Amino acid sequence: MSQEMLAPLLCLIPAAPLLSAVITALLGPKLLKYRSHIPCWSALAVSFAASLAVLLLLPQQNSAATAGFIPPPDMVAAPEAESGAATAPAAIPTLAPTTAADKPEVVVYIGEWLALEPAPETAEVNPADTIPDKNRQRSGMRVPLELRVDSIASIMLAMVTGVSLLVALFGSGYMHHDPGYPRFFAAVSMFVFSMCMLVMSNSFVMLFVFWEMVGLCSYLLIGFWFRKPSAAAASKKAFVVNRIGDFGLIMAIFLIWTSFGTVDFAGVLGNPDRIQAIAATNSGVITLICFCLFLGAMGKSAQFPLQVWLPDAMEGPTPVSALIHAATMVTAGVYLVARCTPLFVLAPQAQLLVTGTGAITAAIAALIALTQTDLKRVLAYSTVSQLGFMFMALGCGAADPGLATMAVTAGMFHLFTHAFFKALLFLAAGSVMHAMGDVIDMRRFSGLRKALPITHWTFLVGAAALAGVPLLAGFWSKDEILAVLMAASRTGEHRLFFGSILVVASLTALLTAFYTFRAYFMTFWGPEKFPEEAGHHPHEATPIMAWPLRILAVAALLIGLAVGPTHLFSNTLAKTTGLTPFEAHFHLDVMALSVFIASAGIGMAWMLYVVMPKVPGTIAVVLKPFYVISQGKFYLDEILYVLVVLPLRGIAFLSTLYDRLVIDGLIDSLGTVPRVLGDRIRSLQGGVVTAYAGLMWFGLVVLVVICLGIS
Amino acid sequence: MNEWMQQHPASIGGLVLWAIGLLWLMPSGKPGKSRPGLPGIILAAAGVLAFCLGAGRGIDTLQSEVMFWTFALTALLCAALMITSKNPVYGALWFALATLGTCGLFMLQSAPFLAAATIIVYAGAVIVTFLFVIMLAQQSGAAGYDRRAQLVVPAVLSSFVLLGVVVQQLQTNPLKVERPGIVAAEKQSTTKGSATSPPPLPSPDAPIPPPPPVIPAMLSKATPETPVGSMKGLGRSLFGDYLFAVELAGTILLVASIGAIAIAPRREEGAL
Amino acid sequence: MSEMTPLNYEELRSLMVAAGLFVLGAIGFLTRRNLILLVLSAELMLHGVSLSLVTFGKIHQNQEGQAFTIFVLTVAACEAGLALSLVLALYRQTHSLDIRLWSELREFDTPVPVMADADGPQSLPSAYDGIPLLTPAGRQPRELPRTVNADPKRPDRTPV
Repeated sequence: MSQEMLAPLLCLIPAAPLLSAVITALLGPKLLKYRSHIPCWSALAVSFAASLAVLLLLPQQNSAATAGFIPPPDMVAAPEAESGAATAPAAIPTLAPTTAADKPEVVVYIGEWLALEPAPETAEVNPADTIPDKNRQRSGMRVPLELRVDSIASIMLAMVTGVSLLVALFGSGYMHHDPGYPRFFAAVSMFVFSMCMLVMSNSFVMLFVFWEMVGLCSYLLIGFWFRKPSAAAASKKAFVVNRIGDFGLIMAIFLIWTSFGTVDFAGVLGNPDRIQAIAATNSGVITLICFCLFLGAMGKSAQFPLQVWLPDAMEGPTPVSALIHAATMVTAGVYLVARCTPLFVLAPQAQLLVTGTGAITAAIAALIALTQTDLKRVLAYSTVSQLGFMFMALGCGAADPGLATMAVTAGMFHLFTHAFFKALLFLAAGSVMHAMGDVIDMRRFSGLRKALPITHWTFLVGAAALAGVPLLAGFWSKDEILAVLMAASRTGEHRLFFGSILVVASLTALLTAFYTFRAYFMTFWGPEKFPEEAGHHPHEATPIMAWPLRILAVAALLIGLAVGPTHLFSNTLAKTTGLTPFEAHFHLDVMALSVFIASAGIGMAWMLYVVMPKVPGTIAVVLKPFYVISQGKFYLDEILYVLVVLPLRGIAFLSTLYDRLVIDGLIDSLGTVPRVLGDRIRSLQGGVVTAYAGLMWFGLVVLVVICLGIS
Repeated sequence: MNEWMQQHPASIGGLVLWAIGLLWLMPSGKPGKSRPGLPGIILAAAGVLAFCLGAGRGIDTLQSEVMFWTFALTALLCAALMITSKNPVYGALWFALATLGTCGLFMLQSAPFLAAATIIVYAGAVIVTFLFVIMLAQQSGAAGYDRRAQLVVPAVLSSFVLLGVVVQQLQTNPLKVERPGIVAAEKQSTTKGSATSPPPLPSPDAPIPPPPPVIPAMLSKATPETPVGSMKGLGRSLFGDYLFAVELAGTILLVASIGAIAIAPRREEGAL
Repeated sequence: MSEMTPLNYEELRSLMVAAGLFVLGAIGFLTRRNLILLVLSAELMLHGVSLSLVTFGKIHQNQEGQAFTIFVLTVAACEAGLALSLVLALYRQTHSLDIRLWSELREFDTPVPVMADADGPQSLPSAYDGIPLLTPAGRQPRELPRTVNADPKRPDRTPV
């Protein structure tokens, strides 16, 4: 397949949403108004189609290639650098003994974005730097605007644009008659653009830029109803907490630049020998880079202890929660860690940290989700928990570097399936909310399965997929995670660690099944009860909302089956740079375990919330301390407030004191000099015009007398 | 200073008399018992006379002496009466007289065109405008603020100190002035007379005189064809050397007249 | 080519008269309170300046003194026109030509300048407007005890 065909497709994927965002933002408020969804829909459809085409055409790409517009004349001098960057994986043996033909990737050069002057030669040549690399020669920093697609990116693109399209369809029904309708679609388009660019970026700097852009879109959409104080606070919180993670990411970029001399993915990740050489000369730096990268991922993907922003982000419109805070943006951290596998492979400590953090996050979030009564918050904590699952899997390479590919595949596969069923669950929750007059507290409604049949069925499919019911999407991906954990617990020196992680993961999976179906039963079973906001006849989702639900439900039903057991996903993903194909096989023992876990969790939920609805209250009374801790979200917000916010406030207070007393005092005391002097002569300004003239005149007289008298 | 006082007793005495006369004439503010003006006028006139005599007497023609004394006394006395008059209408009229005196002095200083222009502008336009405004603004005779001056003693004292110092400087250190126009003209006429004899060759031993500084030819210089005050010379100066400034002045006049039109009338009564 | 000669007595006394005119104008400007007389006094000072310019022009034998005097004349005419229209505008506000009334730009804590006149207003009457209220200089503005221009129809003009 010729790349001439892929290059325009690649450009189309981010260009269409960007155009839509600009059009909607400029014309929306005055011209389009409640037709603002039209540009967004068409742009996302175009993007989705292009992404699918790229996904299908990419494996037929014979070798890595560079395409794009002709570089400007001043860049012609360094065409080798460009093609070198692109063809580096082809020329240099990668971690795995594979040929370049297995790693299809396309790079489209669009333009120069950042080109810093070369730094003065430091004459310090790294002895390990044996590989001639144009980007390595301290050539300043060059960040071209390039679109790069390889296997992992093509999968992400297809997932992002597909889910975005469905969410945009749903959103036009959900946001109907909201005064901010054009704003919503402009922001969603902008988000899709940023997310596509994030996925397609070819260097860490571009990735960081669009990492921030998705953060900005998230901020704008969480605070969509900015007149609501809680929404404004939530958006601010999300933004500020993400800054901590971004600090880590930017430190990682600095470290990468100082140690690798380039920020290109190809230059950093596509060259395992160099990574190993750098690790050999400076063993700590790779680990440090990985820690910093993971800190960035923690912020974006809401990992402990930075997970506090994600549940609050549910203040945004529900389609936004489905799109950004469940399916796409929050998985950017997982994507980043997966993308940087060649680095993480060499940093076992960092991988252990990844797994440990994932396990802690998954467990805590699942425990919190047990007692939440807000349907969207249950789903939010479930998202946090599932993200923890993904990170648990990603770190498994610590046990054995050979497991790295399997680990990444498991994590990415869970990311992939999770996007569908979690978006489905959120959209169904949005449908419930829409029907219930924006009431989302599960205690105020129940037994909705007759009133909202479509929502009920689709939610059930999503919940089953999340709980890990066999053959559904979540079953396959969670199965792979448990399998890779089990494999990790059998090899390497960290057996005990991974064994305990496996136990935690299994228990968390049990909790997941339980709280998911708790929410399902509480919402759709039991006596029929509506809040007064809903009116007496709650209305089922309109077709424009129902069809995305149906499509997503079908996806949640079938997508795992379609790409999991057939190894379609793992084979595609393995074509990514830095990953090796591995012999995937079924893990019947793990499957049995997860079937047991899912059925146990669902059964417990059935027993407690359908058969014996009195029992949960009793349990809550009996286990009151635990219940309170879970209900209070482990008081993590409060703990962070005491540990982080209060000390910062104290420092700020001290700074204020210093400013007010010392600096202001200094300036004020300087200011008193002219003030005191001015007070002496101020009375001269008495408002009598003649007196002013007289002063001038007397001054003139004195001057003349002095001058002439002296001469 | 002392030396000057001894040499020019007339100036000192004139200044003192003049100041006392002014102080006498200044409106004192007591409506019932206003001072008679005559002693003040006499004092001031005597002071002005003595002050001008301090400049020294010459042996010029009687005609020009009479004219100077008439105009100088008119200008200074009428100015003194103007600044002390209780009624602004009288003030404006005294000012017109003072302007006439000044114009006479202009004439004596060989500025006839300027004298005519000043009379036309001031007596014909400015004073009339002033009188109109006074009539518009003040229908009821002398107001309280006209009957009472302010800052009288400090103003008169300081002003006469200044005047004394200036006059002392003028009289003791008379300015040495270069009079190039006349001298050059005279020399030119003498050289023209002896044009037949060739100019003497400079002896080789004599030091070479420095070249005269290059001065751009100013049209404002007086020449025998255009003596000072002649219309031709003034016109060449104004429309030659100062053409740009003339244009600027015209613009300022235009702006000022527009401004006056904009400021003066009541808004509700039209005109802008 | 030319030699330095002292002033002769004609030039000297002309300069002295010019100085006298200037000083008299200054005295008038300082002592009188009538706005029109102030403008007239300023014109008198200009006369003095003009006379000395003309005299110096004659002394130095060039036309520049007279040319400058023509400019002085022009500017004086402009000044007279503008000043008189301003005087009229001010008179319309106060119905008085007293310059002491226009003391609004004084420092806020200095007393109102008052002269014990037998007649005429002692301060600005309330019926003036079109004049912007200015913030007192030098210190943070605080409430001024000023009630004369509290205009119920224009609350934005009441002092803050």
